[in-house]
Amino acid sequence: MENTALSELNFQLIVESSPNAIVLVDQRGKIVYLNRQMETLFGYTRAELIGQNVELLIPSRFGHTHPDFRKAFFKSPTVRAMGAGRELFALRKDHTEFPIEIGLNPMDTGHEMLVLASIIDITERKKAEERFRLVVESAPNAMVLVNSTGAITLINRQTEILFGYSRSELIGNKIEMLIPERFRSQHPFHRKLFFHHPKSRSMGAGRDLFALRKDGTEVEVEIGLNPIESTDGQMVLASIIDITERRIQEITLLKKAELETRNKELEQFAYVASHDLQEPLRTVSNYMQLFEEDYANRLDDDALRYIRSVNQATTRMSVLLKALLEFARLGRDRKLVSINCRVIIDQVLADLHSMIQSTHASITVDNMPELYLYDVEMRQLFQNLITNALKFRHKDRLPKIHIGVKQLAEKWLFSVRDNGIGIDPKNFEKIFLIFQRLHAKDEYDGYGIGLANCKKIVQLHQGEIWVESVSGQGSTFYFTIPL
Amino acid sequence: MAQKLNCIMLVDDNPDDNFFHERVIRKFKLADNILVMSSALEALEYLQNDEQGKIRPNLIFLDINMPGMNGWEFLEVYQKLHKHQQSDQIIVMLTTSENPDDKDKSLTFDFVYDFRTKPLTKETLEAIIARYNDN
Repeated sequence: MENTALSELNFQLIVESSPNAIVLVDQRGKIVYLNRQMETLFGYTRAELIGQNVELLIPSRFGHTHPDFRKAFFKSPTVRAMGAGRELFALRKDHTEFPIEIGLNPMDTGHEMLVLASIIDITERKKAEERFRLVVESAPNAMVLVNSTGAITLINRQTEILFGYSRSELIGNKIEMLIPERFRSQHPFHRKLFFHHPKSRSMGAGRDLFALRKDGTEVEVEIGLNPIESTDGQMVLASIIDITERRIQEITLLKKAELETRNKELEQFAYVASHDLQEPLRTVSNYMQLFEEDYANRLDDDALRYIRSVNQATTRMSVLLKALLEFARLGRDRKLVSINCRVIIDQVLADLHSMIQSTHASITVDNMPELYLYDVEMRQLFQNLITNALKFRHKDRLPKIHIGVKQLAEKWLFSVRDNGIGIDPKNFEKIFLIFQRLHAKDEYDGYGIGLANCKKIVQLHQGEIWVESVSGQGSTFYFTIPL
Repeated sequence: MAQKLNCIMLVDDNPDDNFFHERVIRKFKLADNILVMSSALEALEYLQNDEQGKIRPNLIFLDINMPGMNGWEFLEVYQKLHKHQQSDQIIVMLTTSENPDDKDKSLTFDFVYDFRTKPLTKETLEAIIARYNDN
């Protein structure tokens, strides 16, 4: 008797000092005992609960299944957690619900079997889990939480977008479904290694990583791995970045660098060529001069004419070589400035004043925008186009030139329109090539440089240049400058 | 009447150019003495030789593009010479093409007086000599 009293006292002491809420229930579901934590957690007094059915503490939507679960427990009473993976909720006196975890212990009092339920309020843990889920969900890249068996337990929206699977198609399945076949078999091994020494690191150690989409396509990725301790054991949170765009950019940059080197080489080539060809040419011209100076009185008219022809040819070649060098160097020291195109055009028109007067040309100009341009080069562009319009005027009419501009969706469209001799459509491309000339020298003098320079200048501005023309009626040169 | 210098030095590996330039200077009597050096090294040797009675050039025309030591390398050595070996000399760089890079570079040497494109003409020479005499 005394022993029984002592052990009852001991039991009460242990139960009361437990940080968990504890309730003792008999086979019929009646509450036979509860501790202080239980009162606090559910908002009832001890007197209100003793003798009541335990289903009072369960939300009604679960309450009706509880008696069956209770009976099942008493049929094979073992120490175990309640609910087997289901989410459990409890009901307070004030009818509010809260998430719980319950541990069940069978207790044999000698004359009857009871169950001792130890209840933990997991509201805070659930909140923390929810916060974690929200953080993962709002991450800008795909994130996948995987447990030590390789099962996917959490993914975010970005993962659905990246892989083309819906959430339900992924959760619970093995992470290996997102790995291309040829890498799949090694992955469980790598996964085990990770869980053996879990630490934050990037996956693949420098190897190119690929992920498999639902549609069977592969995407190049970078993956960061972070170990996460959870109540369900050690997990790994994989952060997956699609690096396709970056790869494309890398390749584009590489190509751009290559092109720049190639251009630099070409410029160097043009420079060396024009320089080195200039030197012997100068010697020819120098010595022709000596010839003329020292032997003029011993030469007849034919010989003097031959010398003049040689001189003309060397002069022309020298100009061509200089033009080649200038073409190669065009835009090399360029500076972007904000300038109104009207200012540039007015300067060009002032420079061409005497030519405009002598040809009685009338020139009209649209309202011009203020743009970021390489001003020196842009002046040369307008100068070449306007000079051409004046130079290739029709002999039967006075030249009329209009310089226009229009704003399109992503660029400015400039035009220089004339009423000159026009260009045969078969030459529309050819005229922009360096040293291409369409006319005999005695008809229209020139070196075939101007439009080649124009094209290069427009290209410096990432624009395009082309011509529209009706032979005999006039031409319009168009060029674009991106916004 | 054209002004005249005591001595002009030509430094150029191209004998045709040397001949042509020497001839212009002689023809218009622009200098009493002309020293023709066919390499930068030969020119440096001459300038560094302190023997008595050596004629010191007032003006050096220096080609840029030369094999072995080019015009720029010549200038590097020249600026370390003793003052008496270089004083009174002004240098005009000569080039075949008008490369603005070369022109900018030449201006970094304060004893480089001018930068000209070949060939030397009577007018170029007279202008340079007039400026020399003014200083």
